[in-house]
Amino acid sequence: MSLVASKLALLANTRTLVDALDLALEPGEVLGILGANGAGKSTLLTVLAGLAAQAQGTITLDGHPLATLTPLTRAQHIGLLPQGDEGGFFGNVADYVALGRYPFGHAAGDLAPHLATWELTELADRPLDTLSGGERQRARLAQLAVQAPRIALLDEPLTHLDPAHQARLLAWARGEADAGRSVVLTLHDPNWAACHCDRLLFLHGDGRWQLGTPATLLTPAALEALYGPGTAVLWRQGGRGDPV
Amino acid sequence: MPDDRALAQQILTELRAPRVAAAFACGGLLALAGALMQTLFRNPLAEPYLLGVSGGAGLLALLGMAAGLAWPWISVLAFAGSLLALALAAALGGRLLARDHTPLLLAGVMLAAGFGALIALVLSVTPAERLPGMLFFLMGDLAWTSQPTLLWAALLLAVAAALGLSRRLDVLQLTPLKAASLGVAVAPTRWTLFVLAGACTSMVVAQAGSIGFVGLMVPHALRRLGFAGHRALLPACALAGGSLLVLADALARTVIEPRELPVGVLTALIGVPMMLWLLRKP
Repeated sequence: MSLVASKLALLANTRTLVDALDLALEPGEVLGILGANGAGKSTLLTVLAGLAAQAQGTITLDGHPLATLTPLTRAQHIGLLPQGDEGGFFGNVADYVALGRYPFGHAAGDLAPHLATWELTELADRPLDTLSGGERQRARLAQLAVQAPRIALLDEPLTHLDPAHQARLLAWARGEADAGRSVVLTLHDPNWAACHCDRLLFLHGDGRWQLGTPATLLTPAALEALYGPGTAVLWRQGGRGDPV
Repeated sequence: MPDDRALAQQILTELRAPRVAAAFACGGLLALAGALMQTLFRNPLAEPYLLGVSGGAGLLALLGMAAGLAWPWISVLAFAGSLLALALAAALGGRLLARDHTPLLLAGVMLAAGFGALIALVLSVTPAERLPGMLFFLMGDLAWTSQPTLLWAALLLAVAAALGLSRRLDVLQLTPLKAASLGVAVAPTRWTLFVLAGACTSMVVAQAGSIGFVGLMVPHALRRLGFAGHRALLPACALAGGSLLVLADALARTVIEPRELPVGVLTALIGVPMMLWLLRKP
């Protein structure tokens, strides 16, 4: 059953970003969301997390409307990694990562494996605001990993990550999916989407959307339709400036 | 000599002890309110008077003094003025508190500026002989506090209420969206914080005027010293804020004996060097 959205419409002021979206997240899948800036990717994640009201349609978790769940129950099943910094946090990295335990009450749980996974063990005692952008992104991912939600919604999780930690994120997402959880992430890299996502959702920003496998959706023509004319050159093989 | 001893005894139990007790409770309440405001606004510069509480209290108290009213009425007026300021701030800027605290912050800062102008107006048309009392109220003065028991009850209740919120407050340091995703009901918790911090500040302002600096400095200093989680930070604020104000008030009473200084002068004179020294550390 998992998370199911039916006839979902996302509105931004008077514009319709997404219209009549039907989306059922499968346990064990990694779903990538692609679209231009402002197409509604972040809004969709927020709505799927049950945290935004500016939507029409219904979203259910295991058949229960999302709006009927208490905030804590919802947080025990659905996790969101929003964009944006955590400038107001005064504590250290370990304190910050431990906040992922909040929905589960006082159970402290062992943070050490999560800190190790995201290579934060050495940084555990550092104040969060002294970390670099990439280190902070790892701390945010570790916090979500501690929460261990059945539905993980990640908004541009690749931001600031070097290739080694992008690989780490990939391994984590695959591990979550293999454990029967669903991972949804927004991204701007069709190559990453092609190689590592089971399904893709294209948001055109004008109400239209496409849902399918990378093999069917990721064509030069479809990418130009999504991002605008002249963009397919970014992913063309063999042209001038081809990196590999 | 028995008379002297009896007099000393009387001064201790009837004047000094209640005043020390009131000073501790006021300092504790201010530091606690400051910590709650800093978490509400996710900003280390937030302090108890940010939303115009001291301005509203000061304006009504000064109007009462100008009209020749006596102390208990001044206290009542100050309390009413602080609640008026909070209500105005909430009505004008509280609409979006679930997602964005900037409108509330702006409304409060504007109100504080407006009250400040009105206070200056009252001061400028008041006869000179009434000015010292007004200035002492505006800078904070524990000579008038008559209700140490009430202040202590408020302090204990506030610390208990704040401790009950402490885990939620840890999460509330994150962005509102992230805090909501972790299961915190952001808007109700923020309104609770607003009411609790406002009540703490109003209690103090009504009893002792606008004692500055404790509410800004103590929580910030404790955070720099490593008190990050609210479960430890909030009680520590009550203890440290209370201690600082007892010390400052003892000095305010004795430095230029037999005259007294406004205690707000001393909190700043002690607090500013301490804070600068703390900021010097990496």
